[in-house]
Amino acid sequence: MASVADRLYFRRRLVNAMSLVLSGAATLFGLFWLVWILWVTISKGVDAMSLSLFTEMTPPPGQDTGGLKNAIVGSLMLSTLAICLGAPVGIAAGTFLAEYARSRKIGEVIRFVNDILLSAPSIVLGLFVYTLVVRPTGSFSGYAGSVAMAFIVLPVVVRTTDEMLRLVPSQMREAALSLGIPQWKVTTQILYRAALPGIVTGVLLALARISGETAPLLFTAFNNQYWNTDMSGAMPNLPVTIFQFAMSPFEYWNQLAWAGAFLITLFVLAVSLVARTLLLRKKTHHD
Amino acid sequence: MTDAPITFATAVPQAAAGAAEPSRVKLAARNLAFHYGDFTALKDISFDVPENKVTALIGPSGCGKSTLLRIFNRIYSIYPGQRATGEVLLDGENVLDPKYPLNRLRSKIGMVFQKPVPFPMSIFDNIAYGIGHYEKLSKADMADRVEEALRQAALWDEVKDKLKQSALGLSGGQQQRLCIARAVALKPQVILFDEPTSALDPIATGKIEQLFAELKQQFTILIVTHNMQQAARCSDFTAFMYLGELIEHGPTTTIFTKPTKQQTEDYITGRFG
Repeated sequence: MASVADRLYFRRRLVNAMSLVLSGAATLFGLFWLVWILWVTISKGVDAMSLSLFTEMTPPPGQDTGGLKNAIVGSLMLSTLAICLGAPVGIAAGTFLAEYARSRKIGEVIRFVNDILLSAPSIVLGLFVYTLVVRPTGSFSGYAGSVAMAFIVLPVVVRTTDEMLRLVPSQMREAALSLGIPQWKVTTQILYRAALPGIVTGVLLALARISGETAPLLFTAFNNQYWNTDMSGAMPNLPVTIFQFAMSPFEYWNQLAWAGAFLITLFVLAVSLVARTLLLRKKTHHD
Repeated sequence: MTDAPITFATAVPQAAAGAAEPSRVKLAARNLAFHYGDFTALKDISFDVPENKVTALIGPSGCGKSTLLRIFNRIYSIYPGQRATGEVLLDGENVLDPKYPLNRLRSKIGMVFQKPVPFPMSIFDNIAYGIGHYEKLSKADMADRVEEALRQAALWDEVKDKLKQSALGLSGGQQQRLCIARAVALKPQVILFDEPTSALDPIATGKIEQLFAELKQQFTILIVTHNMQQAARCSDFTAFMYLGELIEHGPTTTIFTKPTKQQTEDYITGRFG
């Protein structure tokens, strides 16, 4: 005969099964679109792959040869400068939050503002830099593009540096300080070392994040059909090139857009993998 | 408590054999109080720590023994809202005076924590790092100092062939002895131990307890422990704390055999705590 306990157990198993099915279905739903996007990018991208992508310039309309050389180099330069601008400031600010403003009101306020910046629409940042740099200087420039992307790098690096430093056990701070070593030395020589994989991961994630950003570049670096490594002029770059080529009626341009999308996807994947490996190594080190 | 603090003038003559020879007062607490924000964690604590002896602080959880220990090197001061009043005299000088340089204090009073926390660097560098902050030594001199410190912490034989390896690969007991070596390497005068064996297994604990007898030849040792047997085994003097007050302080043998306060007797006979 079915006792109360049996019925209760049956109900729990039923609820458990239902939760499992629902959460599983939600996961599958999300994965389905992700896999589809990746599949289309990869299949179309692989078709468009060739060595000429890296050796030839973006072609004028109607031409059926050409590559993405100028856009790839431009993107690398823009991203590198953006990281160089954003990462040091972000690491310094994250250090301030974790080490000097930990339980102070100002720290909470800055963290909150930083989270807002973290979720700010990137086109807003692009327009901001447009008024801040492009209008006063009178021209689109690579510098403006890097500054816009640095504003995306900044909050990501602030957040990860802050979190990674706060993960370092407070006993390590106490142990180092109890040797009579001043705080700035403890931070730069011991805590940074303990949090290094995490901080580098933050920088890499920021790099992955900006490498596909289009909106902040539209009003700042703009784009350039030609070879240009002078960052005071409009810079060729992959995202805006993809945007323009994908919208165009020319089939070869469309193909190049797929190739560019594929390259960015690969780059982001590679960067994420490196970041993952670093974090994993950090974990096994500390256990 | 209202009794006068027990000082060595009164405590030493009662001492049983072993702690009999009079000893200079190295460190003294005078009317110490401690506050976490509005909460008063320690009230009116006065006692003396004799030189080259092991003094144990015992008492139930939350009685303030770790809090008291953390006053002596002012490590509490890294947290906002924590403050100590009263005096801590190191060789007669009040180290709680804000004018007393923090780095000088911490070079004289070292500390070993409950959880071993090696720095994320090699075994050698863990020891050399602190020394390098105070002294510029040649490579050979530094190697000697590191070896000396590791020997004092009874770790040398186990690590001499892997000094360049990460300290994070050592076992818990070895890590704790590395932390002891790190503190010893600066040649402090006093070493504070905050429950140094509570995260370790019995064998590692035994090794560290053996060390105290060696280390006290050179250093004055103050140890917080929740393990009464440990206090009985390793210390010359014991202070019993309860609810933020120092209840009784004296030679370990006296505290454990003829305590004068009822609360002390209740605690050591296991009636509470």
